[in-house]
Amino acid sequence: MNISRKWLSDYVALTCDDAALCHKLTMAGIEVEKVETVSVVPAGVIAAKILSREAHPNSDHLSVCQVFDGRENLQIVCGAPNCDAGQIVPLAPVGTVFSTPEGEFKIKKSKLRGVESCGMMCSAEELGISDDNSGLMILDPSVAPGTPLETLFPGDTRMELEVTPNRPDWLSVWGIARDVSCLLGTEAKLPEISVKESSEEPRPDLVTVEAPDLCHRYIGRVIRGVKVGPSPAWMVERLESVGLRSINNIVDVTNFVLMELGQPLHAFDLEKLEGQRVVARRAAAGEKITTLDGKTLDLCEDNLVIADARKPVALAGVMGGEYSGVGENTTSILLESAVFQPSNIRSTSRRLGISSDSSYRFERGVDYDMAETASIRAAQLILAVAGGRLEGKALDVTSGRPEEAVIPCRFDNIRRLIGSRVSDERIVEIFRTLHLKVDDVTPSGCTVTAPLFRRDLSREADLVEEVARIDGLDNIPEIPVCGKCCHPESEDAWMPLQKLRAAVAGLGFCECVHYSIGSAANFLTDTRFSESDLVKLDNPLSPEMAVMRPSLLGGLLGAVERNIARGSKTLALFELDRVFCADRSKFPEERNELALILTGLRHPERYSAELKESFDFYDLKGTLESLFELLNISNYRFAALEGDGRFRPGHACSIVIEGKTAGAFGELKKELTSSWRTVYPVFASQIEAGALLQAARRAAAKYKPAAQYPATARDIAFVASSGLTCGEIIEFVRRKKLPDLESVRLFDIFEDDALREKHQKSLAFTLTFRNAARTLKDDEVNASVERLRGALAAELKVELR
Amino acid sequence: MSDIIAEINRAVSEAEGRAAAAAAAAEIEAVRIDYLGRNGLFPALSRRMGEIPPELRRAAGGAFNAGRTRIQAAIEAAQQRLASGGEEKDAIDLTLPGRRGAAGRIHPISRTAEECAEIFRRMGFIAVDGPEIEDIYHNFDALNTPMDHPSRDPQDTFYFPDGRILRSQTSPVQIRVMETHTPPVRIVAPGRVFRRDTPDATHGMNFHQIEGLYVDKNVSMADLKSVLQRFAHEMFGPDVRIRLRPHFFPFTEPSVEYDFSCVVCGGKGCNVCKNSGWIEIAGAGMVDPAVFKAVGYDPAVWSGFAFGLGIERLAMLRHRIPDLRLLYENDVRFLRQF
Repeated sequence: MNISRKWLSDYVALTCDDAALCHKLTMAGIEVEKVETVSVVPAGVIAAKILSREAHPNSDHLSVCQVFDGRENLQIVCGAPNCDAGQIVPLAPVGTVFSTPEGEFKIKKSKLRGVESCGMMCSAEELGISDDNSGLMILDPSVAPGTPLETLFPGDTRMELEVTPNRPDWLSVWGIARDVSCLLGTEAKLPEISVKESSEEPRPDLVTVEAPDLCHRYIGRVIRGVKVGPSPAWMVERLESVGLRSINNIVDVTNFVLMELGQPLHAFDLEKLEGQRVVARRAAAGEKITTLDGKTLDLCEDNLVIADARKPVALAGVMGGEYSGVGENTTSILLESAVFQPSNIRSTSRRLGISSDSSYRFERGVDYDMAETASIRAAQLILAVAGGRLEGKALDVTSGRPEEAVIPCRFDNIRRLIGSRVSDERIVEIFRTLHLKVDDVTPSGCTVTAPLFRRDLSREADLVEEVARIDGLDNIPEIPVCGKCCHPESEDAWMPLQKLRAAVAGLGFCECVHYSIGSAANFLTDTRFSESDLVKLDNPLSPEMAVMRPSLLGGLLGAVERNIARGSKTLALFELDRVFCADRSKFPEERNELALILTGLRHPERYSAELKESFDFYDLKGTLESLFELLNISNYRFAALEGDGRFRPGHACSIVIEGKTAGAFGELKKELTSSWRTVYPVFASQIEAGALLQAARRAAAKYKPAAQYPATARDIAFVASSGLTCGEIIEFVRRKKLPDLESVRLFDIFEDDALREKHQKSLAFTLTFRNAARTLKDDEVNASVERLRGALAAELKVELR
Repeated sequence: MSDIIAEINRAVSEAEGRAAAAAAAAEIEAVRIDYLGRNGLFPALSRRMGEIPPELRRAAGGAFNAGRTRIQAAIEAAQQRLASGGEEKDAIDLTLPGRRGAAGRIHPISRTAEECAEIFRRMGFIAVDGPEIEDIYHNFDALNTPMDHPSRDPQDTFYFPDGRILRSQTSPVQIRVMETHTPPVRIVAPGRVFRRDTPDATHGMNFHQIEGLYVDKNVSMADLKSVLQRFAHEMFGPDVRIRLRPHFFPFTEPSVEYDFSCVVCGGKGCNVCKNSGWIEIAGAGMVDPAVFKAVGYDPAVWSGFAFGLGIERLAMLRHRIPDLRLLYENDVRFLRQF
């Protein structure tokens, strides 16, 4: 909401400058979002001295003046009767822009009846300074030509306020003035609001309220004989100071009172109302209305309308109808001041996509008492600026005044929640300066009655806020939190995830964070899922942003593709976040997953032969092994994975942790990556984070003494069928249970064309033997190795070397 | 007789030159043998001292002693030089690139969330988790959100066909914790929240918050102030000033907004703080009695505060990231900077 300093100072003495005022408002909860200067006079207007005046050769009312603007002499044709040599007057030079209700116009160099004129000398009315249009505005003779008029008639300050939804009473200049008076310790005062009504009773059918649940109060007032025309300058200035444009004197009064008192008003052209009456009722299904802004709206029964005897003439509380509005020929008006049900106005406004300064206030709630005051204020102003006379008394149709909230308040409780030592007396003083009624003051507390403009106050907690706010949040001390550690039975939920992140980052991977909403097409690249697994939004932003991700793969693939397109072909990325699945047999609705992607060069920053090495399957496998080691997980295995649509056949494993499949890894299928501008294969892994963290948490490493006696190593080399896997060989060796065998490690694997032709490969292993209690003898080790060699040749059919 | 002095001086400079040029221990040893060894020059000169007339013997003796000391020093210096391995002929190219281990990164969102959680952890707040698919009760009703509050509107919040929603805030975690625990409670809840906003420089369909809640006897705004103050100082350094402003949230009363003095300009005014000198960081307040009522806490016994911070906003401020979308683009040239 906008407010101006001048307007505010009509009701409360402002004893501080703009900066201090803004600070006080902000710190009291009325955040000042923007401050700007509003000039009264158009920019560029300066004082000028009339040097001479001569009659216009072709006109009897115009004169031709020579004028000095502080720098040069100009010739200006002027029609004002009072212009004369020697005067100091306002001059709008060529290029000055005036804003009027009819639009903007710019002063141009022109010829008036054949005589050139370079600018315009102005009246006070033309400049918006006063209503005086009798002639040129004559400035003090001491003003130097060239002085900008802004310095003589300083502008106003417009403040843009952010008003929180609990404080509709701040949506008016008067409402702000009330709080400012409390902040500055000065008195806030409304101008005298009264109007002389005739004693004649109003026509009872002038106003009918058929929907009292939606219309709590409707005050109708008839004014006849008004003359629609421009508003006086002072009102235009006030309206413009808060960013409103002048329309005509009647509409301006309703806007003025809306801004002044916060009560929206509407003026109908009475003659245009069928039956010269209004009915507040629900719209009938299929009814339509064309609003002031020319839009035709389809109405339903939830919409409250103001209708005449036949049809809707206004969308109640939101916008008037086009047809029934006040125009230049209007002479009789029905002035509406009403209280509508807030949530109904809100839903109407939202559903029809139409809002206004009125609906903004009605949907937050207006003050029941103010409806009457505002009606009188508007009538008073209309009679003053548009003439006319009141026809009878106002008709006030109401379902009753709401009750004021009576709130018991304990001083100690206020101090307990604020944590400051604010005194009893200060608490009571704060309530009173806020126009709250304080009764029954005792040493322990008091009773506060909240006026109807403070419907936000209903409980003691609400009063705590008032005390904290007005006494100043800066006055609250800071008390360091201490006391017992709370919540002992639960574990920190974030730390394990963060440790997992740190471990994966430590292995060289960069973390990604993607939106968890996306398109089904992208997410179904993870072929574990089908359409029916997707958790779908009811109101997505777009079809591309319509489902919750069941997998992190789709997002990461997008990141890889983008990065490759931007020239980054070596990528080690991961994401650790939540995924969603509708099929709870697959996994509970939400769970955390870890996904990794690896592609490109193994050592992009190195040189020589190393530079050319690209990542392969075993790099990702090694990463996972390292991760398990870092997490102290030993009970895991990788099993060949067949028929998984994500991976290249024969190049994928499932990850089994503590006997349960918890993920997979491998080389991505070519069709997933073939469109990318990269020659490198792409490897990916997906693991359920919960399985990792659970296994990690259980496994605390147990101490084993380091070996005291030396190890004995023997190498063993052979040619085997290419189908025989390293894992099978090691498993075979282990099953032989050679005494004191500590480890079996592959140290060479070799294939050349000759071997390949025979579907063979050459393998070499190091067997390490060690006994914890003594040094082994060569003979016993040799015997074991010989036994193994025999078994390998006989059972695995390898050719020993 | 000055020729013996000249001979000494000549021998000293010769020996010094040889010692300085020596590239191996054997060469240094040769210098020692030639000049100071039993059959070397100096023992020989010593034997000739008797031939020198007594009036000159003093000067010659001085030169002899000084020369022997200098040669000794030159030999020691050469030995030290060799021992420290200086000027080896096969020195490596020190400027070749180092072989780096892989260096990964944690995303600035996770990093910032963790730093927040860690700061609050030190103040006794434990991090807890809650579902992202939430029900209306926990996200709105129990948090005292009016039935016609705009945030409930499908315009602003993502709904599922079954009537549940994507949580629009981390506050429902407060409710879930209080439903299952008796006070005292001191928790933070970092996590992802969702708003139906079209992504732009400062908005996204989802972003991250960290929620805090502390309920105990006699918890006051003074406690809240000190917790947020300490957070500010640990996050942005001791020069950061803070201020509380009254505000409105349905689930707290009194409600405040929390501003930090601008961490970019120090409060002088810049485009980041829109020339106000202050940056809005947190919404906070004392838990509304209606919320306590919903979870069965007696507001006459317990009081508490809650706060919510935007992680992305903090991350953007800390790292001076100008556009929220950069955080979700996952360009490695961006990720590797943090």
